[in-house]
Amino acid sequence: MTALLSCRALTRRFGGLVALDRLDLEVERGTVLGLIGPNGSGKTTFFNVLTGIFPASGGEIGFDGAAITDLAPQQVYRIGIARTFQRSRLCLPLSIFDNLMVGNHRHLRHDLWFNLVRRKALRRQIGEQFAAARELLRIFDPPLAERMLEPAGRIPMIDRRRVEVCRALISRPKLLLLDEPSAGMTHDETLRLMDDILKVQQQIGSLTIILIEHEMSVIERITSRCVVLNYGKKIAEGAYAQVAQDAQVKQAYLGLE
Amino acid sequence: MALLGQYAMNGAMLGMMYALVAVGFTLFFGVLDVIQFSHGDVVAAGAFAGLLAYAALSFFGVHAPGVLLLAVILAAALATIVVGVLVARFLVLPIKGAPQLNVLLVTLMMGTVVRECIRLFFPNGSQPQRFPALLPSSGWNLGAFYLRFDNVILLTCGGLLIAATHLLITRTRLGLAIRAVAQDEETARTMGIDFKRVVLVTFALGSVLAAFAGVMDGLYYNEVFFGMGLLLGVIGFAAAILGGLGNLYGAIVGGFLFAALQTVGAVALPFASAYKDVFAFGVVIVLMAVRPTGLIGERVSERV
Amino acid sequence: MKAAAVAAVATAFAWLLLRAESQTSISLLLLLAVAAGVAAARLRFRLSGPSVLAFAAVAVLALLLREDDFSLLLLTRILIVVVACLGLNVQFGYAGVVNFAGASFFGVGGYTAAILAPRLPHLLVLLLGGAAAALVGSILILPVLRTRGHYAALVTIAFALLFRTFLEVNDTLGGPQGLKLPELVIGPFHFNDPVFDASFYLRYVALGLVLAALALGVVQRLERSWIGVALDAVRLDEIAAASFGLSIARWKIAAFTIGNFITGVAGALSAFMIGFIAPNNYAFSESLILVSILLLGGIGNPWGLALASAIVIVLPEKLQTIQEYRFLIFAAVVILILLFRPAGLLPRPLRRLKT
Repeated sequence: MTALLSCRALTRRFGGLVALDRLDLEVERGTVLGLIGPNGSGKTTFFNVLTGIFPASGGEIGFDGAAITDLAPQQVYRIGIARTFQRSRLCLPLSIFDNLMVGNHRHLRHDLWFNLVRRKALRRQIGEQFAAARELLRIFDPPLAERMLEPAGRIPMIDRRRVEVCRALISRPKLLLLDEPSAGMTHDETLRLMDDILKVQQQIGSLTIILIEHEMSVIERITSRCVVLNYGKKIAEGAYAQVAQDAQVKQAYLGLE
Repeated sequence: MALLGQYAMNGAMLGMMYALVAVGFTLFFGVLDVIQFSHGDVVAAGAFAGLLAYAALSFFGVHAPGVLLLAVILAAALATIVVGVLVARFLVLPIKGAPQLNVLLVTLMMGTVVRECIRLFFPNGSQPQRFPALLPSSGWNLGAFYLRFDNVILLTCGGLLIAATHLLITRTRLGLAIRAVAQDEETARTMGIDFKRVVLVTFALGSVLAAFAGVMDGLYYNEVFFGMGLLLGVIGFAAAILGGLGNLYGAIVGGFLFAALQTVGAVALPFASAYKDVFAFGVVIVLMAVRPTGLIGERVSERV
Repeated sequence: MKAAAVAAVATAFAWLLLRAESQTSISLLLLLAVAAGVAAARLRFRLSGPSVLAFAAVAVLALLLREDDFSLLLLTRILIVVVACLGLNVQFGYAGVVNFAGASFFGVGGYTAAILAPRLPHLLVLLLGGAAAALVGSILILPVLRTRGHYAALVTIAFALLFRTFLEVNDTLGGPQGLKLPELVIGPFHFNDPVFDASFYLRYVALGLVLAALALGVVQRLERSWIGVALDAVRLDEIAAASFGLSIARWKIAAFTIGNFITGVAGALSAFMIGFIAPNNYAFSESLILVSILLLGGIGNPWGLALASAIVIVLPEKLQTIQEYRFLIFAAVVILILLFRPAGLLPRPLRRLKT
């Protein structure tokens, strides 16, 4: 079976700084890949290049059999890649439901005729979407699913994380990119969130995940394979237990000589 | 040939005024990442304060041009410093964390307040006011082109002022503090720099440049108008963007480039004199479409 | 029930205020209104009801004032400004596209009406006024799109100044003297003929009401739809929006064009009503007034801008002492609002798509 995502010699430069340095990376369908490395090692940059926010300076990205290197963020989303952000990027003045619907953009009708004139059909679609969103949110936190018409700015951090993950999941992407979901959460909360994500993954079946995470216990528990970055280069890859023993990795993390 | 010299001189004068205003915009953006939209009207406030000082001194029988000129410049500087610092202290600093748009709106409305105050409270302020000629109007005959002393003096002074600003920014402790704040506010704070003071001083500095631009405008055209700040503000801001916001040299280059475009346009286009301002604003719009982040490029610092 | 009572009280109050002549009684009435407003805010008074009530209230008010030309003129001006601000609201309040040239697009509508009125049916002219505003707006789309925040502000300010200067120096558009318009005729209705014994302005009020109702309907439906969600997302976080497939450019263009169209139609109607137009009507300071109305009322809330339009138009006309100072006062008030109550007098309520 071919990999869902494969990057060849992917490079991104900012002026003189090489944030991603000829990165080769493959992710198999249905697996969870952990992406780890010290701060500034290029993990988030990888997500930004992959999703088209920054254009690649060199190399290629293949996804599901097609070359997607030069796609705009909108196109990347449409072929089935969705993400969360390191710093929460919810629209805080909007309701939770509205936020989820931003994530489901590609399944909604946006023409003027439908939205302004065919109000009945619109209301029906809203009803369907509302039920689906509640279903999804319920997997993460049943009480939260009953509060979908509250502003996202009024819920605690952990719930915001959940909403953000749901916003990425609701469009049924093939590949989910999670950028440090543990930021701002306790260890237990993070583990719970991960378990819930895995639950969804089993339900959807074909979901593939790349996870950037600093909490090694999370990585150990849910990833099948890890890639370690340092200064934009891949310095190790394999199962967590294996890379954790790698001398280079230890050096990168602890600065050991 | 004579005409060409005339155009070149006019372009140089315009360029100097634009540069003086643009440097202010760029300084403010440097330290606070905000646009002080009332800056153009601060220029007008300076010019009118100068006019007021002139009227007062004339009333008391002072007629020595040198004294008058000095008084005009000092009064202009004082007025702009007061307005600039008040804007920074009470309007911009308190809402620093709010969306950029709010700062923009607040300063834009503040510009209206300044403009309207001039119109309403300056004697006969809704009409253009004659600005006295305080510099010698004689000059040299260079062939067919008549080089006026007052223009030379204004250009020299403007150049010196910008050079002094540059030296202040690059060579003094204060300048170092300003650059540190512009680079990274948090780090500057932890290094013991009084952030608020640096911001206020920067606003005072930019406002002094605006004062000189206002007086220069008055002396050059022999007329000031309560709405003069709009044109100078828009073009000064456009020049600052053209040069890359936050970049001192860029602002100067942008100012002169803008004046050059305007001067060339006035020569090259038919009916140019009537459509002079239309053309100037049109250039602003076109430039924003072509080079939205300036020729040199603004530092982008959005974290994703 | 509560809404109907409030509408009745508001109508009575508006009638009293518009009929009041002495500066003392006007001041007292205004103080009363302020007190009522403060009390309502303290008691967290929430009002909701069908929009029809508001329009009915205006209609009743117009009938009560049927012989009072001046008050009816004010009423129509308010309705027109509400329509113009609804257009700006789509741009600024929803998509976050700043437009400091509102009065210019209003003016494009007006000048289009002046040029086309002798040649085409007037209902069509009103629509063409909007279309012309949208078209002229499209030349600004590129610079507005390619820039963010303060740059877009600069572009529209430059356009506002350019537009006014252009009108003044262009002789075919009448120069500083402007242009005259013929009487507005729609179907059998000649708008300058008296309505039985009552003022001819009644027809303008009626047309203004129709336009305002249409504009409000469009804007409210827009907000309560997937389009509203998309526009809000574009305004609040472009990067997140783009990451979920929203085309930032498409939505900004859509909002800018729809908004300018609405503002242009309002401008065309305004030109017909006044009968002649001149560059002075479309100065930059007028654009600032339109933006002030949005900010004062509560950006994104149609009812907020309706309230603010009424305040901004009626106040200087009834309190003559402030007429001359109105730009100064409104600018100062907007500064205070932005510093202390950035959501405006009537903050935009949370959208609840599912009820």
